[in-house]
Amino acid sequence: MAREATLATPVARPLISRRARELAGGYLYLAPVILVLGGTVLFPILKAMHMSLYHHVLIKPKEYGFIGLGNYARLLHDQVFWLSLWNSFVWVFGSVTFQFLGGFAAALLLHQGFRGRAVLRTLTLLPWIIPGVVVALIWEFIYQPNYGLLNDVLIRLGWMTERVAWLSSPALAMPAVIVANIWRGVPFFAIMLLAGLQAIPTELYEAARVDGASVGQRFVYITLPMLRPIIVVATATRIVWTFNYADLIFVMTSGGPANATQITSTYTLMQAYSNLDFGYAATLSVALLLIMLAFTTVYLRLTRGLESVS
Amino acid sequence: MRRAPGRDVVERLLGGPVLWTGLGALTLFAGAPFLWVFLGSFKTRAELYATPIVYLPQSLSLANYVEAWTSTLTPFSRFFANSLWVSSVTMVATTVVSILAGYALARFKFAGRQTFLLVFLATQMFPAVLLIAPLLSQWYALGLIDTYQALIYSNFSFTVPFTVWMLVGYFESIPRELEESAMIDGCTRFGSLLRIVLPLAAPGVAATAIFAFVASWSELLFAITFTSQTEMRTLSAGLLFMVGQYEIQWGQLSAGVIISTVPVAILFTYLQRHLIQGLSAGAVKG
Repeated sequence: MAREATLATPVARPLISRRARELAGGYLYLAPVILVLGGTVLFPILKAMHMSLYHHVLIKPKEYGFIGLGNYARLLHDQVFWLSLWNSFVWVFGSVTFQFLGGFAAALLLHQGFRGRAVLRTLTLLPWIIPGVVVALIWEFIYQPNYGLLNDVLIRLGWMTERVAWLSSPALAMPAVIVANIWRGVPFFAIMLLAGLQAIPTELYEAARVDGASVGQRFVYITLPMLRPIIVVATATRIVWTFNYADLIFVMTSGGPANATQITSTYTLMQAYSNLDFGYAATLSVALLLIMLAFTTVYLRLTRGLESVS
Repeated sequence: MRRAPGRDVVERLLGGPVLWTGLGALTLFAGAPFLWVFLGSFKTRAELYATPIVYLPQSLSLANYVEAWTSTLTPFSRFFANSLWVSSVTMVATTVVSILAGYALARFKFAGRQTFLLVFLATQMFPAVLLIAPLLSQWYALGLIDTYQALIYSNFSFTVPFTVWMLVGYFESIPRELEESAMIDGCTRFGSLLRIVLPLAAPGVAATAIFAFVASWSELLFAITFTSQTEMRTLSAGLLFMVGQYEIQWGQLSAGVIISTVPVAILFTYLQRHLIQGLSAGAVKG
């Protein structure tokens, strides 16, 4: 009898319920990522906010001290900062507009069937994947006044009579770095829009064709509306990324000549890297962060709106 | 059914001359800068600084490559090894961390899931310059200046958020039923992640891993800030350091540019198909 009773004993219930274990399991899987991003993103950002309240120039340790919002007051009166914001706007607007137009054209071309498409596609996308320093150096070599490619080609074509120092002229430096950035960014839009084009069902075009829609009409009434979500997201991503991007200008001009190409992210970098003024660099980063957060909020609302539509 | 003749002309123009002109322009735009530097990497000093410009080098001499690779002042062999090590370790560690996090966010329902996803999206929008000053003082305090660890840890700040975001999408596209039946058959959750989900998501995981590698390979700002010794420089930092020399050696520099480009170009050729799909999937999800 006793033996049967033992058999009838229900299986011991687990100490914690299945639901609770799932929950704990979820956090366990996330523990490494929390540790990694906590140490390399979250804590440094808090640290930057803290640093921005101090006078902290690495080469002047004796002057170190708490100055409250002193750095922020300096920021508001810093003409280079305001200039850098305007330059950032020019840099972002010039770069992204032409990257988009060029990328769209490239995507439409690469979507067609022709021999050697795979090779051309790889070549077109290459400028996006190579290191920023490499892009900067390639273009520095092209812009080189005495033995660079650009001056030589323009003079041979008869469009110019004298050699131009592209990167050391205050008027030409910004357009020159923007062109290099366009070259780097066209592939991004090409890759995104190409993926979008490939996802449009061909039946739509066939139906429109049967109904007598012209090429232009098919583009305006099918291609553009179908690509709209990707266009919005890709453009927003690119705006943020270009605003933050410092490598190209840092290598090509370091923000010069006379701050003509100084955008806010290179200005922040120069304060930390060249002037070793960590307090002020941190203040500038906090300002950058606030601008980005404002943009991100708008961006998220925009994409949410898109999602609820579709 | 007959179509208007005018329309046929437009379509034939678009499919013929316009297409070919466009393709020509695209090839020139994308290829000319590469060709210019590629040719430059074979030119002798005399050819590089000649007026009028010499476009084609006399011989395909590898002198610039050999010089850059073996130079004691800017040893590209060492830079290459540094880049390879930093990028590989970053890639492996990023992938492991991101698989766990991506799987949890794709499969578990828990409080704060949405917040996590938002954080990963928002982190991708932070400028790298924001982290320079605080990370430098952090690595300095930990005695990690001029170490690989400082570069690898710092690289996580931009590789991990992106790869997690991508992997959540990949994992969500794999049907839950497969794991559920495996777990009914006695497989643990971790076991089903290893045996069921990962093999199915392998192309996506490979693509994100390569992304992490390529992004680390390109990284410049952390590399120049957190290292000061020549033998600790990565390729990007080494190239920049070379520019800072007394006189720019365009021949060696061009060779360095090509050396830095080739590995990522090869990886990218493999990656592009998967990345295109993943990017658009992740992007539309926004």
